[in-house]
Order: sequence, then structure tokens, then C-alpha cells
Amino acid sequence: MDRKVAAYICRGCSIGEALDIEALMEAASDDFEVDIIRDHEFLCGDEGCALIAQDIQDGVNALVIAACSPRFMTDTFTFDGCHSERVNLREQVVWSHEPNDEDTQMMAEDYLRMGIIRAQKVDIPVPFEEEVDKTLMVVGGGTTGISAALDAANAGYDVVLVEKEAQLGGWMGRFTRQIPHTAPYRDPQPVDIVDRISEIEADDRITVYTEAAIEGITGQPGQFDVRLKANGTSSEFRVGAIVQATGWKPYDANNLGHLGYGTCPNVITNVQMEEMLASGQLTRPSDGQPARRIAFIQCAGSRDQDHLPYCSAVCCRVSLKQALLVREMDPEADAYILYKDIRSPGQYEDFYIRAQEDSGIFFTKAEVTGISNGDGDNPRIEADDTLLGEKIALEADLVVLATGMVPNAADSEAIRNLVDAEAVIEKGEEGAQLEKAKQTVEELKHLKGTELLNLDYRQGPDLPAFKYDFPDSHFICFPYESRRTGIYAAGCTRAPNDSLLSREDGSGAALKAIQCMELTSRGEAVHPRWGDMSYPDFALDRCTQCKRCTEECPFGTLNEDEKGTPMPNPTRCRRCGICLGACPERIISFSDYSVPITSAMIKAVEVPEEWDEKPRLLGLLCENDAYPALDAAGLKRIRHSSWIRFIPVRCLGSVNIVWISDALSKGFDGIIMVGCKSGDDYQCHFIKGSELMETRSENIQEKLKQLALEEERVKLVQLSIDEFEKLPEIINEFADEIEEIGMNPFKGL
Amino acid sequence: MAEAVLLKPDRKFVEEIIDSGGGDLKLCVQCATCSVVCDLSSDSSPFPRKEMIWAQWGLKDRLMADPDVWLCHHCMDCSERCTRGAKPGDVLAAVREQAIKHYATPQFLAGMVNRVKQIPVMFMLMPGILLLLAILLRHPIEGLLGLGGSVHDEAFYASFFPHWLLIAFYTSLTMLAFVGLLGGLFKYWKAMKAADLADGRQIGETGIITSFIRTVTTILLHRQFGRCTQRGNRQWTHLFAFYGFIALFAVTVYAVFDLYLFPVVGLDSMYPFNLMHPMKILANIGGVLLIAGCVKGILDQKKDAGDSSGSTSFDQIFIWLLLLVGVTGFITEVFRFTVGVDAHGGAMQFTAYAIYFVHLMCVFGLLVYLPYSKFAHIWYRTLAMVYAEYSGRTKEIAGSAMVVPVATEVQTAETQKQESSEEASADESEETSAEESKEESEEESEEEPESTDKTDSTQ
Repeated sequence: MDRKVAAYICRGCSIGEALDIEALMEAASDDFEVDIIRDHEFLCGDEGCALIAQDIQDGVNALVIAACSPRFMTDTFTFDGCHSERVNLREQVVWSHEPNDEDTQMMAEDYLRMGIIRAQKVDIPVPFEEEVDKTLMVVGGGTTGISAALDAANAGYDVVLVEKEAQLGGWMGRFTRQIPHTAPYRDPQPVDIVDRISEIEADDRITVYTEAAIEGITGQPGQFDVRLKANGTSSEFRVGAIVQATGWKPYDANNLGHLGYGTCPNVITNVQMEEMLASGQLTRPSDGQPARRIAFIQCAGSRDQDHLPYCSAVCCRVSLKQALLVREMDPEADAYILYKDIRSPGQYEDFYIRAQEDSGIFFTKAEVTGISNGDGDNPRIEADDTLLGEKIALEADLVVLATGMVPNAADSEAIRNLVDAEAVIEKGEEGAQLEKAKQTVEELKHLKGTELLNLDYRQGPDLPAFKYDFPDSHFICFPYESRRTGIYAAGCTRAPNDSLLSREDGSGAALKAIQCMELTSRGEAVHPRWGDMSYPDFALDRCTQCKRCTEECPFGTLNEDEKGTPMPNPTRCRRCGICLGACPERIISFSDYSVPITSAMIKAVEVPEEWDEKPRLLGLLCENDAYPALDAAGLKRIRHSSWIRFIPVRCLGSVNIVWISDALSKGFDGIIMVGCKSGDDYQCHFIKGSELMETRSENIQEKLKQLALEEERVKLVQLSIDEFEKLPEIINEFADEIEEIGMNPFKGL
Repeated sequence: MAEAVLLKPDRKFVEEIIDSGGGDLKLCVQCATCSVVCDLSSDSSPFPRKEMIWAQWGLKDRLMADPDVWLCHHCMDCSERCTRGAKPGDVLAAVREQAIKHYATPQFLAGMVNRVKQIPVMFMLMPGILLLLAILLRHPIEGLLGLGGSVHDEAFYASFFPHWLLIAFYTSLTMLAFVGLLGGLFKYWKAMKAADLADGRQIGETGIITSFIRTVTTILLHRQFGRCTQRGNRQWTHLFAFYGFIALFAVTVYAVFDLYLFPVVGLDSMYPFNLMHPMKILANIGGVLLIAGCVKGILDQKKDAGDSSGSTSFDQIFIWLLLLVGVTGFITEVFRFTVGVDAHGGAMQFTAYAIYFVHLMCVFGLLVYLPYSKFAHIWYRTLAMVYAEYSGRTKEIAGSAMVVPVATEVQTAETQKQESSEEASADESEETSAEESKEESEEESEEEPESTDKTDSTQ
């Protein structure tokens, strides 16, 4: 089908007053073969839209809308079967530059050219659609898993619930009472998980496998093929998405010798205390005598750089509950609670007050310096930094260490390294490589058998871990997201939670999983490019098996065949384009985002001759935060240098180095790339994009050296959206720097 | 760093404090707002924050050796501003009650005297029996000692309960109780001193005599009450009852002198005084003041019960008893002047004697039970205040009057308080010797930059 491009320039929102629209139209039609070019006072109004609709009827199939930012009026300017290219004249031109200025006019012309060339090259994506199974698999039958299973079933989806133990219920199933879930949040409540287990059993939509272990999962969202062994028999089935609710294990108290664990017979953990409370007998392990003075040591091995550096969020309330139960079981017993800080957020303040009110529960902030075995096996606690303003010692019959939570999650990347090292040894490699592999195997062999999901993914069998070994994204905007599309972490395996929050987590993750199955069934991408129907196309005949794409994909989309050729799994893909940025052969492209399209846009800019003394800068802006940040600065009418031309990119990781060389040979004097923040507390929407760009920048610097260009000509900036006011300043500073360095010597060659 | 101190948490003691009116004690989270807003708290030994944690852990030994609990005048400035509603003011009052009970000898009396249930036994049966016994034994003893026939015995009430018996009865019993009290006071002083020495505090910089004089001056002027903002009107309540009682006590002592000492030194005994006698006038004024103070106190308590602090039986029994002493005293006096000396026999005389008997019972409750009731505060508080001077605690109080207002609505009260405390500190420096006032002003000037910093940081 022939492409028929129509360009429309809106005069509204002060665009018409700040630019010479006639000149703009002339410039656009002079340089490119645009079939129709029109201007309108108010393009997003009914009349403007009708005008466009009429043109489409007359055969136009690609639109260039030069008006406001693509972040506005998106629905208005979306027309079926027609690519709609938005040229941001409002926020990024007239609202952020001097009106009726020569430079502003040149900028608008460049943007219009870039828009037209893109509209000429972009193809409308054809979605990847295959048969999709909409069954949800929930791994883990504790509080979280039960909640996810029930909610998904209630929403009308089939659920497979997989539990490694013989019974459902998890930790809560073993406890007598739980911290209150309902108002007035004052007293421990009976554990309510039993009722929920019977709901599961009564639900026809839910299939339960107990004593189960997953032997393997192949495929991709919508088409995960699961092999598992449950109660001694093997099963195989297909599911659409997975919620991992594998829960937690207590921190190993054997590491807490300084708190008397292992050396004092009457020092136990909070988990052991739960068992004691469930047994109904408060006795000392040493002699079976009743325990009447029970000390709770909070943060035992938590918020401690030598142990767990984080707060497990529940131990305070668990100890409040246990202390109240102690008092209830034996009114002659006293409970001492020694804490770093009592954390009882929200309504749980009332629970804390309830415990405080009890005359037999004694509280003090304390830094416990040691616990030793005193006379008659009475643990003696020494503590400093107390509210009593002095070092104190306390004698107790029983000490309960409030230990924290460790996620039940496998370290996927480490396991993969182990597997790779083993392969190296098997292959019969020699020398340093063999030594290194042997060392790796030695270091990591304890991880063997810790796999939970057994995913058939090139990048490892489980969810990759983030900070503190939790597989959660850790970023507030992306709850339940993991680095594996269609697999969502929830409950204590995601982050330390109490039972109430775990329930909510289960619901949330189930909803995410449902969203994934539905979007996948329509061939659309999930978070953060919801609804994107493009997906990467690999020109495999030109592939050199360098494995960069399979290694660098943050989501493990690509498996490899034996030679190392990538094997795409389109529904695992989040469409970030990092593979496109990685590929040195430039064989990966999307129908509407590719190396040639962006290169053409770069070349469409008119770079003035050297003697004009008008430098040109290229800005590659991450679409997720940097581009909206620039819009926000425009809304605030903050001005930036008019030497710069911006091109939005899907992620900084999707920037192919060839674009940099194209820009430099075109005569651009400097290139600035703005992306999200990397690191452990990343805010990068594709997790690794900015990080990868940092690594690639080293190659860019090499290239600049080869060309005898200054390193400062290419700059990488990390920015989060709330820093939008800084962005114009950053741009202006960069412009000043480039002015100082001088013009690109390749200009005009 | 000192050795770790072994704590012995005592739930029973915590519960006793809770029962004595410190019911919200456990809510304290040690934010220290209370110590900051308290104008009576000293910088070197601030309260009531530390008392709150001691009380929460039931550390009785520490509380019983703490003079600071008595420096508190229960003005409720702290309770009003407490962020958790733990009412430190009430907790300290409860601790004081515990201190009186703790130091009482024999201890069981303190338990009985303050219990509403025990009122019939302790305040009716016990004094009734003892007084009746005294009346029964009057004639045998008179005969034995050859007493009787004195002109005073012809007086109206003296024929019912003669003066020698009155004096002998009350002096002996009060003195007996007083021996126990002295023991308690002595133990308390020793405990306070031992606690401070263990803490490494320098004590005795101010001599005991100076400390005593300063304390008495402070008490006579009711200076500490004047610093309250939340319940500032209590200054007058206490002042009335206090001076009323002093006046009545002075007249009683004078009457004893008049009766038995004046004839010995050759002066004319004027007893019984007529209405125009200066001592009688003083006594009547005292009685009015006492009753006024008690009534105002009871009304104040009623009012306060609604907002922040409720009073306990410990407070109630004492104030009602004091009021009854005043009221029955007046009625007795009225009968004396209306029924007259000559009205022997008849219903009027019986009524008069009956009321006089009740009056005697009330006085018994007040004086004989003094070491066991709230009345003991006059001794424990005085002792603690003397000790506070002696241990240097009160030195910084005048300088610590800078209080940053916590909320706009209390700002006016706050300004007033600042003014009044400035006045108070001005008074104080006038009275202290020239040398000391110099010291004080030096200290104040040293503290000034610090207090400016505080203000800055809060702004």
C-alpha cells in the first residue's frame, strides 16, 4: 500500500503567535514529499478532527500532527489504521523558547522534518497473537497464595495452587493467634486462615497440588508449560501467568551467638515462641519450669549490617502479640520488651497502646550488648542506650529473639553462573578458565537444589534477586513487578509483610497476573508500555551469535539455541528496545522503532554551517521520565537552549551507538542522553537501561578518541521526573560546555 | 562507663501506682515533653520523665529515694501537654501517696487511713472509743492525781472534756505517731542522699540551715504554686487552707500557754477568750480561711475531674476531714456563745456536747493520723524541698523559665506565666544574699546563648 502522508499544524495554544506558520509549512513541503499540508486554528476541536478524518477517507494513511506533546490529546489524535506522528511544538518549542525568534523557528522546522520522515518510515505494528491460556498458577499456599488464588478464582479465572507442604496455610496455619486484622485493632485475633482454606477447597476453579515441587517451566506468558511432581505423581499443564508467593523463612538464629542463641538453653526465637504459645505451656527449655519473666529482644539480627540490614516490619507487632498472649496465659508472668524502635504503623498504634496498658508488659528502648547464661540457666541480658539513661542488666527465665524474615527465593543469577561454570568444566576447558570455573562451582554449589520455579530461561531458573535478595522491583511505582514478564512476586517473598498485608499482596499480584494474561491475549505489551503492539523482529540471517541481546535483556526474553542464536519469546518482551541498542549488527528492529528510523530523524535535522555559529546538539530522551520531565518544564514555561533537538527513545538502553556516530558525522556538536536512575534503588522502568548505557558510554568514549573528538561532547544524565525543573538547566549547561569546546570539526563534511 | 544496673521490675508496684491514680502511666513513650514544659523541674535532675520510666518498670527503690516527686505541685501543665495522655502529673501524685505509705510506721495504718471502706472504723469507731475511754477514766485519774477544782473546769466544754485531758490525750497520741513519722523522714533523707551519692552528684553545697530558710520562705510565699498555668487558681486554694490552719494552730498553742504557763510566770490567764480577744479574732479568721480553702479545693477537684485529673480517696478523705474540722469547730463555738456556761442539762447542752465530740473525733483523724494521710505531705514535701536546696537542684530553676509555647491557644497563658515567673525570680534574687545573686546572674548570663539557640531551632 502506498504511503500517503498528511501534515497538520495547529495554531492553537499560542503556537500560531510564536511561529511563522506559513514559513514552517513551506519548509516542510520543500524538503519532503508531503501529500497534504494544512494548518488549523484549533486542531483538537471537532472541526479539526473532522478535517483529518476527511483526509483519511480520501486515502491518507500516515499523519503528522504538529501541535501539543504526544502526552496530551492522545485519544483525539488516534485514528484507526493510520500512524499518527506527533510533533511537540507546544511544550518543547513555543512554551520553552523565545517566541518569533529565528532559532525557535528553525527548531520548529527541524522537528516538523523529523516528524515527517518518521511518518514516512514507520509501519503500523501487527500484534503477535497466539492461543493464550488464561489459567493462573500460584506457587505457595500460605496467606498470600491463598489470597491470590481466591481472588483470581472470584474474578473468573482458573487457578492452579501449588504447595510444597502436605497442607495449605503456610506459617499462619501453625500459629494460634494473629495480630488484629480489624477494628479496634487492640487484641490478638484467632487465626482465620482455616476458613480461607475451606473456601479454596470448595472452589471448583481452583486445583490444589500439595507436597508439590515444580520440575520445569518452559514457554512464555500465556503459554507457560509446567511440569510438576505432587504427592508422588507427575503432572503437566499449561498456565498463562504465575504468582510466586513462596513466603519466608526466619533468619538463622545460629548466627546470633552474641544474643545467647545456642549458648543459653533458655534463649529461643520468636518462631519457637509461637510453637510454645500454640502448645499452651510456657516453660523453660532447660528445666521445664514455668517461664514467668520473659524478655523479648527486638531486631535480633535485624537492622544490623552484620546480619539482616533491613527491618522485617512485623517482628514488633509479633512480639506485642506474644507478650499479650503470655500475660493472658499466666497473669503472674511478666514480659519485657527491649526494642530499637517500636514499629507499629497505622492502626497498629492502638495495638501497641493495648500492650503498653498492661501492667505486666515492660518496655524500653535498648541496644542489647549481650546475653549470657546466668545462675540457674537464667539468661542475663545487658543493654545500653536505654530509656532509663544507663546501662541495665535484666534477668529473665526465658529470652525470645525477635528474628527477621528472609525471602524464600532462589538467587537465579548465581544459579545460572553455577550452571555455566559447570558447563565450562564439562567441556574440558583448561588453564585460567578452568580454575575460575572451579572456584565458582566451589563458591556456589550450596545453591544447587534451591531452585523454586525451575524456569527454562537462558538467564537462570528463578526470579532474579534485587536488594537484600528479594525479587521485588523495590520501586514504589512498580509493585509486584519482577524481571520476568508474567511472573509476579507477592507476600513475604516480595518484601517482609504481616499477614494482612500479605493478603493484600496476594490480591494485587493476582490482578497484575490477570492483566498480563489479558493483554498478552491481544498481543499487547504489559507494564510499562501497556498496549504496545510492536515487538522485536530479528533478522537472524545476519546474526553473529554474540549473545549481547540474550545477556542484556532485563527480562530474560531470549533463550539461545546451542550456537547462541537468540530464540525470541515475544510475550516475555516488554518492548524496551534494549536488544536493539545492544545489537552490533543492527538486526533487531520494531515496526515503529528501529536503527534506520532514528538515524533518518537525526539526518533530517538541518545543521547550520560552521560560520553561522549556531551549534546543534542532539538530545536522546528516555520516554518514561525524561521526556515528560521536559514537557513539565515547558508547562512551567522554563526556557532551555534552542540549539538542541530532542528525539524520544524507549529506554536509554535502546540507544544504538550508531546513532551517536550518525549524529557526529551529520555535524552535531554534542549529544546528551537523559535517562532514569540506575542502581539498587533504580527508577529505570526497564531496570537495567541506564546501567547498560553507562557501560556502553565507555565504548562511545573510545570511539570519540579514535575520531580525535573531545569526550565531553557526549554526556549521560540520570534524572527522575520530579527533578524536571533541573532539566532545562542541565541542557543549558551542556550547551555552554559545547560552546566552550567549539564546533564539531566534521561539520559539513 | 558505670557497671550495668540490675533491674528488678515490680509489676505489683506498678499496679499500686495505677490504683493510686496513675492509671495512664503505662502510655508514656518518654518523649520528655513533660520535663520540658515543667517550670519547677531543674536542669540537673529534670522530672517527671525519669519518674515515668521508673514507675513503668516498678522501680520502687528509686522512686522512694527521689526528692523530685515532691518538687512537683501537681499543676498539670505536663499532663495537659503530654503527647500520649499518660498524665505525668497524676502519676507523680500517686508516687507521693506511695511514698507516704512506704515511709509510714506502722505501715498498715497508712493502708487503712486512706481507704474509704475503712472510714467507719478508722474515723468513727477508733477515735470514738478512745475519747469515751478518756471520759470514763477522767474522774479516776483526777482523783488519783488530785486534779480538779480548777476554775477552767467550770467552762462550758471543759466540764465535759477538761483541758488537761484534752492536752494530755492529743499530745500523747500525736507524739506517738510523730515518733513513727520522724523515723520515716530520717529514712527518706538517708535514701535521697544515698541515691544522689551513688549517682555521683555533688551535694551539700548549700548548707542545711540556708536550705531550710529558703524552703520555708518559698512555702510561706507559695512561690511554687505561682508557676502553674494549667491550674493556677490552686495557689489561692492552698494559701487559704494553709494560713487558716497555721492561724488555728498558733491560737491553740497560745491557749495552752495561756492556761498553764501564764499563771506560772504571773500573767493573768484570759482563757476562755471572749469574742473581741485578738487571739479569738485570729482564730475566727483562720477558721473562715480554712473552710474557704477546703470548699474551693473540693470545687476545684470537681471541675478538674472532668478535664484532666481525677482525685483519689487519698485526697478526698483528707480535704473533707479538714473541712469537717473547720465546720464542727465553728458550730462548737456558736454553741459556746449562745447556749452559755450556765445552761447545765437539757437537750441544747447534749447537742452541744455531741457536736463537740464529733469535732474532737475529726481533730483526732487529722492530727493523730497525720503521718499516714495526705496531711503527711507537709513534712515529706518540706523535707524534700530542703533536700532539693541542699543538693543544688533548685539552683537552675529560676533560669529555666524559658518555655517555648506548644500551641497558639496557650500562648497567652504562656506569656502570663513567663511574666509571673520573671517576677518570681526577681523576688528570689532580692532575698538571696548579694553574693549568691551575683552567682545567679552569672549563671543566667551563661545560659542565655543556649536558650536563644533553642528558640532558633524551634523556629
